Amino acid sequence: MNSKRTNPVIIIVLTLFSLACLIPFWLVLMISLADEDWVTVHGYSFWPGKFSLVAYQYLIEDAEKILRAYGVSALVTITGVVVSLFVTSAMAYALSRKEFPLRGALSLYILITMLFSGGLLPWYLVYTRFLHVQDTLMALIIPGLIGGFNVIIMRTFFTNSIPPSLIDSSQIDGAGEFRTYFSIILPLSLPVMATIGLFTTVSYWNDWFTSLVFIQNEKLFSLQYLLTKTLMNASFLQTIANKAYSSTAQVTTPLESIRMAMAMIAIGPLVLVFPFLQKYFVKGLTVGAVKG
Amino acid sequence: MNWLKKSSAVLAALMLTSVVAAGCGGNNTANSPAGSAEPEGAASTGLKPYEVVMVFPDAPQKDNQLVQDAMNDYLKQTYPELNMTVKLNPIDWGAWSDKTNLMMASGDKMDLLFTADWLGFQQQVTKGGLLPLDDLLAKYGPDIEAVEKDYHEPAKRDGKLYGIHTHQELGGTQGVYLNKELVDKYSFDLTALKSGKVEDLEPMLQTIKEKEPGITPLVAPSFPLEAYYSSANLDSIVSIAAINTVGTAADDYTVINSFTTPRYMELAKLTNKWYKAGYINKDALTPGLDAWKKMQAGKGFAFVGDMDILADMEIGKAAISPNGSIKAGREMLQIPLNIDRLQTGKMTATMYAISKSSEDPERAMMLLNLFYKDKELLTLFNFGIEGKHYVLQDGQIALPEGQTTDSVGYYHDIMWQIGNQMLNYTRVGEDPNKYQNYEKFNQQISSNPSRIFGFVFDPEPVKNELISIDNANKTFVDGLKSGQLDPEEVVPKMLEKQKAAGADKVIAEAQKQLDAWLKENGKK
Repeated sequence: MNSKRTNPVIIIVLTLFSLACLIPFWLVLMISLADEDWVTVHGYSFWPGKFSLVAYQYLIEDAEKILRAYGVSALVTITGVVVSLFVTSAMAYALSRKEFPLRGALSLYILITMLFSGGLLPWYLVYTRFLHVQDTLMALIIPGLIGGFNVIIMRTFFTNSIPPSLIDSSQIDGAGEFRTYFSIILPLSLPVMATIGLFTTVSYWNDWFTSLVFIQNEKLFSLQYLLTKTLMNASFLQTIANKAYSSTAQVTTPLESIRMAMAMIAIGPLVLVFPFLQKYFVKGLTVGAVKG
Repeated sequence: MNWLKKSSAVLAALMLTSVVAAGCGGNNTANSPAGSAEPEGAASTGLKPYEVVMVFPDAPQKDNQLVQDAMNDYLKQTYPELNMTVKLNPIDWGAWSDKTNLMMASGDKMDLLFTADWLGFQQQVTKGGLLPLDDLLAKYGPDIEAVEKDYHEPAKRDGKLYGIHTHQELGGTQGVYLNKELVDKYSFDLTALKSGKVEDLEPMLQTIKEKEPGITPLVAPSFPLEAYYSSANLDSIVSIAAINTVGTAADDYTVINSFTTPRYMELAKLTNKWYKAGYINKDALTPGLDAWKKMQAGKGFAFVGDMDILADMEIGKAAISPNGSIKAGREMLQIPLNIDRLQTGKMTATMYAISKSSEDPERAMMLLNLFYKDKELLTLFNFGIEGKHYVLQDGQIALPEGQTTDSVGYYHDIMWQIGNQMLNYTRVGEDPNKYQNYEKFNQQISSNPSRIFGFVFDPEPVKNELISIDNANKTFVDGLKSGQLDPEEVVPKMLEKQKAAGADKVIAEAQKQLDAWLKENGKK
């Protein structure tokens, strides 16, 4: 076995895997560009016989709604990720310090949140009854701020890759806790920050459920919710058309190509963010995940 | 120094939290309705001002607020003694069950709430989310009683009424739609369908198949083998349990598995035969496929489904379908093959209920009552503001000049959800006599009630079985409906799976409950 060249089997397997990832995108793109009538008659195809840009034109006409949803999603994602990184790393850092008295108790607390969830109803009640954030952007940001899993990855990263002696020496040099945290720890933790940042970016960007639960005001709908809503409404109306047995309930299915065009638009930013953060990805995750 | 730094950081953190908190608080007040201002001149009756929150499934409309204001103006002027305002709270179809469940469980304020058996009415009652309505109805619902008096039974649970049925058509008809252009082209003899048997469609499908390549003779997946079959042959109790009404004595109340009847097998075989002959489209099960779109594109000839209700409908009698023609964008003929009997299920398919979290159920009932007598209020809710959202053309609703259904700001098709439908306007293109037809049709239907009309099955004891039976069915039913599976081979397999999932227990339970009901009502 030669060690220099990569095993062809691996290449083939990975190529197939990449194709399996790319082909759906290709299909979605093609349908978004296909002529609606053609799709109705012939079904989905990787190379539609007739192209048209009607779907995108239609979306431009509806641009106000989509742009606003885009704005909401972007704002929520950016604020959410920044605040979330701060909160998560602050908690993880505290937990990584052996001197911290509540270390055990808090770790257990976090572990419990990973294993058991409180359920939908208490979750809803906390945000609507105690925090009263329903129908505000806060409702989209706050629920995603801290995840037990992320805290644990970060904590492990801090314990493993930051020698306690570094903290000691910085404190001997006169740095207080906050100084140590901001000027020593954070700059050293870029890989794990980028990794967790990407996790939270993806989860904030893809989140539609919190919009569904908390947002009534159409102006605050996030992009993904707008998309999901269209799809859910269509399938719901189709299933009830017979059940409600109502002759007046007219089913209006959204145009197939428009749905696909919306999907293309919605994945945009993530496709752009991914390549830039990817290089940190492996490093951050492996270092953070291995318990040393 | 160190101490100072620490405390300043703590301070900063505190400020951050308070800013966050202030942020939510501020937004929150901005969003809460400002409509609680006192409407004047209403104090005489002693009723305090009250806002009735209406929750119903509908795509949010751009001009919701405008219409709500118009409704409130109208209420204030016409019924100052009621001293109430209304808040319209539409919820997207797709989000409906999640959202209403949460709202109900958390006790959010709701007054009037749309509900139906297919939207979890039973669970809402079981969970105690709805108020019993008998007393309220007797006191504040005279106009509801005037039209719905005889139809409350199906919405009763343990003898108490929990939902008010929308006054509308009491059943439907199923049959076959035909593309008129093609019928004329080949001068098909439609009297062949007089028998009301879908089998007689076969020669026409064959002709289309042979002479019109590129046109699907019979468009699926909306081939409602079940719908067409069950209401004509069965009194359905719960998804699989039913009473066979064909060829059995009128006092035979034996509950059977609806998939075991000969007629089901017969129709499934027919569908399969047509599929094999190439009469039915192969992509019938592709998700998102809309049969009407195929008709629109001119790629379909026949289509089995629910028909429009017209005057003088008879089994096997062809007529132009107004709604079908609008949906297909071309002239469509409809031939009813089955006319429903009065069934319990239909009565719970569209209802309004009053939520337990209502602070003033009396006022909610008063408002609901208005929807059964006040044409203007109903029109405001259903069609919006005259001149802005609709104009009247010869007594029918039309869109204002230059507007489309997308651009108009208030356009929904939920007339069937609330009130007395017979008070509604029709839209341009619909039969202007639509509601007279409904009345006539209702007489026809109510004179032919199902033999177990009024019996309500309580699924609670066999809840788990029903879920696993549903799962077992999923594997087969769609394939059978679209003709892609061979019933001789698959139906026995399906029955076996149903059995394993507890079908016998469900049927025994249905029989038990039915027998008790029959005894109570002196039928046995």
